[in-house]
Amino acid sequence: MTAVTLRALLALPEWAQSVRVLAGTAGLGREVRDVRPSPGPAPDHPVTQGELVVVAGPMRPGDWRIDALLRRVADGGGAGVLLPVDDLLEGTRRLGDRLGVPVLVTAEAPLERLVAARLALAEPELDRAELLLATHEALTDRLRPPEEIVAVLSGLLRAPVALLDDQGGVLAGESGAAGLLRPGEPVPQRIELSDGVLLAHPALLPSASRPALWLAVRLHGTAAARAGVVPPALAVAAGAVQRWLLAHRLELERDARSRSALLGDLLRLDAEPDADLRRRAADAGWRLGGWHVGIRIGTPASVDNVARGADVARALRGEGIDAVVVEHGDGWTAWTTFAQEPVAGQVRDLAARLRAAHRELGRSVGAHMGVGRPHPRPEGLAATIAEAGDAARLAATRPETGHFLHVDQLGMAQLLLEWTRTDTFEPAARALLAPLRELPGDLVRTLAAYLDAESSLAETAAVLGVHRNTVAARVQRIERVLGVDLRRRDERLALHLACRTVILADEHG
Amino acid sequence: MRIDPADVPALERGVALLGSGGGGETVTGAMLLRARLAAGGEVTLTPAGDLPAGARVVPVGLVGATAVFDEKLAGGGEFRAAVAAIERWTGERADALMSIEVGGLNGLLPLVAAAELGLSYVDADLSGRGLPRLDQLSLAAVGRGLTPAALAESSGQVLVLTTGTAADVERTARAFITSGGGWAVLALAPIPAGELAGCAMPATTSAALALGSRALAVGDSPDRERLARATGGEVLALGRVIEVSRWQGPARHGRAGFGRGSVAVSDHATKSLLRLEMENEYLLALRDGRPVASTPDVLAVLDRRTGAPILCDAVRHGVEVAVLRLAAAPFWTHPARLPVLAPRAFGIDCDPVLS
Repeated sequence: MTAVTLRALLALPEWAQSVRVLAGTAGLGREVRDVRPSPGPAPDHPVTQGELVVVAGPMRPGDWRIDALLRRVADGGGAGVLLPVDDLLEGTRRLGDRLGVPVLVTAEAPLERLVAARLALAEPELDRAELLLATHEALTDRLRPPEEIVAVLSGLLRAPVALLDDQGGVLAGESGAAGLLRPGEPVPQRIELSDGVLLAHPALLPSASRPALWLAVRLHGTAAARAGVVPPALAVAAGAVQRWLLAHRLELERDARSRSALLGDLLRLDAEPDADLRRRAADAGWRLGGWHVGIRIGTPASVDNVARGADVARALRGEGIDAVVVEHGDGWTAWTTFAQEPVAGQVRDLAARLRAAHRELGRSVGAHMGVGRPHPRPEGLAATIAEAGDAARLAATRPETGHFLHVDQLGMAQLLLEWTRTDTFEPAARALLAPLRELPGDLVRTLAAYLDAESSLAETAAVLGVHRNTVAARVQRIERVLGVDLRRRDERLALHLACRTVILADEHG
Repeated sequence: MRIDPADVPALERGVALLGSGGGGETVTGAMLLRARLAAGGEVTLTPAGDLPAGARVVPVGLVGATAVFDEKLAGGGEFRAAVAAIERWTGERADALMSIEVGGLNGLLPLVAAAELGLSYVDADLSGRGLPRLDQLSLAAVGRGLTPAALAESSGQVLVLTTGTAADVERTARAFITSGGGWAVLALAPIPAGELAGCAMPATTSAALALGSRALAVGDSPDRERLARATGGEVLALGRVIEVSRWQGPARHGRAGFGRGSVAVSDHATKSLLRLEMENEYLLALRDGRPVASTPDVLAVLDRRTGAPILCDAVRHGVEVAVLRLAAAPFWTHPARLPVLAPRAFGIDCDPVLS
């Protein structure tokens, strides 16, 4: 709240010439919260915390009641006394020093000092109100980008203002305060500096647990005295930043939706894209020709992909990777395009830089990354992105690789097999085979052996050590129970994978 | 109890302590008493109860500027003249004398007068301590009034006030003294010994003597505890006078007011500041701005080394002192009489702070 010290009052023009400090100099830094008149040296009210008692009526400098008044001020935590006398007894001076109660005297009308002091006490309130109004008028007429908000606020406060991101990094304005902010605490902050004070206000997005941005102002030297005045204005400006963020986000989301739709269309390509699709890709600035390397970045569902898209682009740019990034599902799909088929060294170099970008991104977003192989032409885009997606799914379960996988590191078959061991496949496989497991006759092993033996009853019987008629009967039962036709390749393949997964899991489990 | 010349220093010390800084310098009074005793005079402290109930006791004392009394000694006949005047006016013969005020000079002079006039001295007084004004005497406080009263001035004038309130007597006595020699002897109408219990303070002279001999017995530079134990009082401060300030008090009844002042004592042990407000007596003590003692309790400032009480008009900067509080006579702490001697009776807007 209002913090005016006795020293500050003594600097007032009405005080500077006419008020002297005769005792209790040590207490001049005391905060004055109230200035009240007293008709005589014995106030008709209890002295309150921070009260400066101004004795209005004429009095004798030697009056014992001055001593009693000093005691009451000391007991009540008052700020001091102002007396209409020109001198004090030595004993009274000593008492003021002893009790630490500042004793001010004036030969002129004490009530005029009182009026000036009351105005000074009210001044921060007025200052605050005026600054708040000015900020409101300057920032709320229309939507402004954060750079402009920072400039306007800096002008109003006559102090350096900065817009910081949630890592404390400077986005706009100037500030030596980047490292001082505590971004983890989404509340207005006041940080004392050696030469002043840093005030910061968060701009929160709805439903986000952490502030997206911070508005910070650094008050130096004498400006630090306004530290109590500035926060409301800062809050109004942070509100303007917040409005801009919300509006900007609408645009981002619209944009993200159209890009995601375009990507979907491209991924479904199985022939040359038509003219309309080419046109939309060109409008989006996407190159369909050349050799593409797909990148998939997956995130937990809690991450706000739209807002974080800029972080991904920045992380990739930081490693010199020119990539298209599209918000897609729980994460981002991205790709980079080479004009010619990349040589092995180029691919390795790209993978290394992607790994670095992934690490950088990991500072703010917990994400896993998969990278596909280079494929040419628009339809190759879908292929490399699909590979990247598979690799990313694997990466999610592989902390040992730092949640990063490049398809080149794996044979495709291995990749596919690995894929069957994911959390999504295995339960499905178990569900598929569950009816067999409830029946007698080791049907799962029979089915696996049958499929391994390329549907040969004789070989299956040899492997299992039973009669081929037994195998035939079991296969019929399997087809009946599962409702499948093992002559159909899709069903055969699915069941083969399911058997392998379940048997492998049981052996390892 | 018979007063022996050897008792005089103790009596002097006792009455000086009870003067509360006022009551006048006691040196001359003590000298006169010693001289009277040496010349064969006899003074016996007679308890009021030992007299027949009908015995006439005349309260006497010196009023006015006691400092002038030192310079302008008694002609010798003032007490006799005042007592004679009141005897003539009332038609009653004085059987005994008593003091109007045990504190200070008037704790001694009535003994001298009794020896001089060959009357008994009753061990009682009308103040129990030092008091500045006649209208504060116990007779006035219980509503008996002071008239008739006789005043004998040193240049020979005798004035008898036959009627009037206590305040009238006070005012007229002051005017008479101011126009005369600066002091006068007052004699009030005789009080039957049987009525003294209701309007006077008993056994105060013998108490002063006892207090004085205990105070003398502690010797030089007593510590806080010894001093308190010997006097039965409370030591408010033991330190150095860092400031004495004096000013003219507000005028009263159209006459210039008494001189006023304050004394600041810095306590050596606690470093606290004890401030004494004074008029003719020390009236109020504040420690670090908080009232800690007041009239009607007796406040005495003693020379730290000799233990001799220092009068209000003699206290000065730089002296090492002990400030002592002695409990008031029970007469004054009675709620009906407390306002007569409470600080507000002296124009000090503060509630009484009693031990």
